[in-house]
Amino acid sequence: MHHISRRTFVALTATGIATAPGALLAGPVRKGVTAREIADRIQKDLGGEWKPDTVDAFKAGDPSTVVTGIVTTSLASLDVLQRAVKVGASLIVSCEPTFFARADTPTPPARRAFPAPSGGPGASAPPTPAPLTPAPPDPVFSAKDEFIRKHNLVVLRLSDHWRLRTPDPFAQGLASTLGWSKFATAGDPAVIIVPEMSLEALVSHVKKTLGVRGGMRIVGDPQQRVRKVALLPGSTAIDASLKALPEVDAIIAGEVREWEAVEYVRDTVALGGRKSLMLLGRIVSEQPGMQVCAQWLKTIVPEVACTSISAGDPYWRPTA
Amino acid sequence: MHLDFGRRSILETNGMSVLTAGEVVARIKAKLGFPWRDTTYRDTFKFGGADTPVTGIATTMFCSYDVIRRAAEAGCNMIIPHEDTYWNDRDDIAIDNGDVSYKMKVDFMRAHNIAVFRIHDHMHAQKPDFIYVGAARALGLESKYETAPQSHHFTLPETTLVELAATFQKRLGDKAIRVVGDPRAKVSRLQLGVGYATPNISSKDVDVVVSGEQQESDGQLDSPAYVMDAMTLGIAKGWIMLGHSISEEQGMLEMAEWIKGFTPEVPVQLVRTNEPYWVPK
Repeated sequence: MHHISRRTFVALTATGIATAPGALLAGPVRKGVTAREIADRIQKDLGGEWKPDTVDAFKAGDPSTVVTGIVTTSLASLDVLQRAVKVGASLIVSCEPTFFARADTPTPPARRAFPAPSGGPGASAPPTPAPLTPAPPDPVFSAKDEFIRKHNLVVLRLSDHWRLRTPDPFAQGLASTLGWSKFATAGDPAVIIVPEMSLEALVSHVKKTLGVRGGMRIVGDPQQRVRKVALLPGSTAIDASLKALPEVDAIIAGEVREWEAVEYVRDTVALGGRKSLMLLGRIVSEQPGMQVCAQWLKTIVPEVACTSISAGDPYWRPTA
Repeated sequence: MHLDFGRRSILETNGMSVLTAGEVVARIKAKLGFPWRDTTYRDTFKFGGADTPVTGIATTMFCSYDVIRRAAEAGCNMIIPHEDTYWNDRDDIAIDNGDVSYKMKVDFMRAHNIAVFRIHDHMHAQKPDFIYVGAARALGLESKYETAPQSHHFTLPETTLVELAATFQKRLGDKAIRVVGDPRAKVSRLQLGVGYATPNISSKDVDVVVSGEQQESDGQLDSPAYVMDAMTLGIAKGWIMLGHSISEEQGMLEMAEWIKGFTPEVPVQLVRTNEPYWVPK
């Protein structure tokens, strides 16, 4: 007897294949949905055309694998992969890289010798960049690779095109998790009008609700009264903050550059502006948006279960 | 115009020569020990100019409004910051134009005859790089532990990640320090980075990196995600982020001391930018 899940049975019934008793045994066995089929549905539902330079692609595993369940996450950490296996999932949809850097390759990429000419403040600026050198095998890469292989996992990165969806699923998810969906301004989940409270109270609510540990950092007066809040989950450049801050009392962001928005808000506060900035950390800030992703995937992949697993806050403090 | 003329003649009457911001910059260039790179967009005047008469010099990390105000109060109208003034690395004022904070900051600088000259790229190219000297001093990373001179790689007596982080936090008074990794991980080999120049945590000879800030994910080098997975695997790795300002600020004290050596006409001091953050309990 072929094992068939209740969910699959329901799906088969819906398509009429399983209407007659015995039809399952008599007819051709349906093979289930593969990771590639799911990726195709994702692409189709998000508009069809994929940007040529996108990071959204399979990062590990065989796309022809029949998927037993889906887990979405902001970060496919090894811990998240282990928990995905426990719930019977084999496709992991991750917003951030699985293999630690933008290159996102299962073996360490060739790199330039440190210091890298990254161009950001704090970086040295050597006249000529060091040549690329191949990296030796790495125990963390290897163990993660091996775990993925052993459990027949497939990892799909979904960031660029999920972000482009309207309304912004990351802002929508963050608002929803914070219990603020009902406070969203017309048509914009990124601007919220909450019942007036102090910045300190707002911080406390956000910390508790999102389970942030050491990742949370705040610029502004704890006693500031806050009503209008802009949500900037993920990683944002200075223009986003310059645009948002004049219109709101506080920005809640994932990560910004410290020489940009942090100093901008610090100056604005020092100059008498009643404004503030709350940083959550990028990974924490993106998790609610990947929860929205799980809800959405359920609608386009009804064959298998889809849940969301959080990688948690990477940071802690000695005194926290 | 008339006032400027008047001030100059008083100084001339007293037989004093006027130290200009341009002369300070010329002396910095002459003392560096290597040719100035004119291609830099960072190390330039950000406000005021070479002709500004200097009453005192303040070095700092970020040229924040608060720093400018405190420097002016201390009689220093030339500010030498390591980082930007207008909230973007290129100090491109086009992006800030029209912003109220930008206008107020610039008005204040104009009213107080401030000159701002950033020193970043040439500072990191200097031997030694004062930023690393200051950071190592502040963190208590003594040169006897440094693997090779100016390698910024230290082999310390073995400790745990949490003890190391707690020591740094105590030394710097760094409220918003952030640490990734198993607190009980045994660490000894430390690679020091500063500002946004965070070393690669996956290097074989490194247990822990210490730096200012780094993007949390999707960067050129391995991120906190690597340390999280190392923790899951029981591999000792640690990632300590001090904050950009805190990590480089002490280097600007070294810079102040260095400038003091060749500008005897005026007082020179570090005006601390301080940590911008508070953290919830």
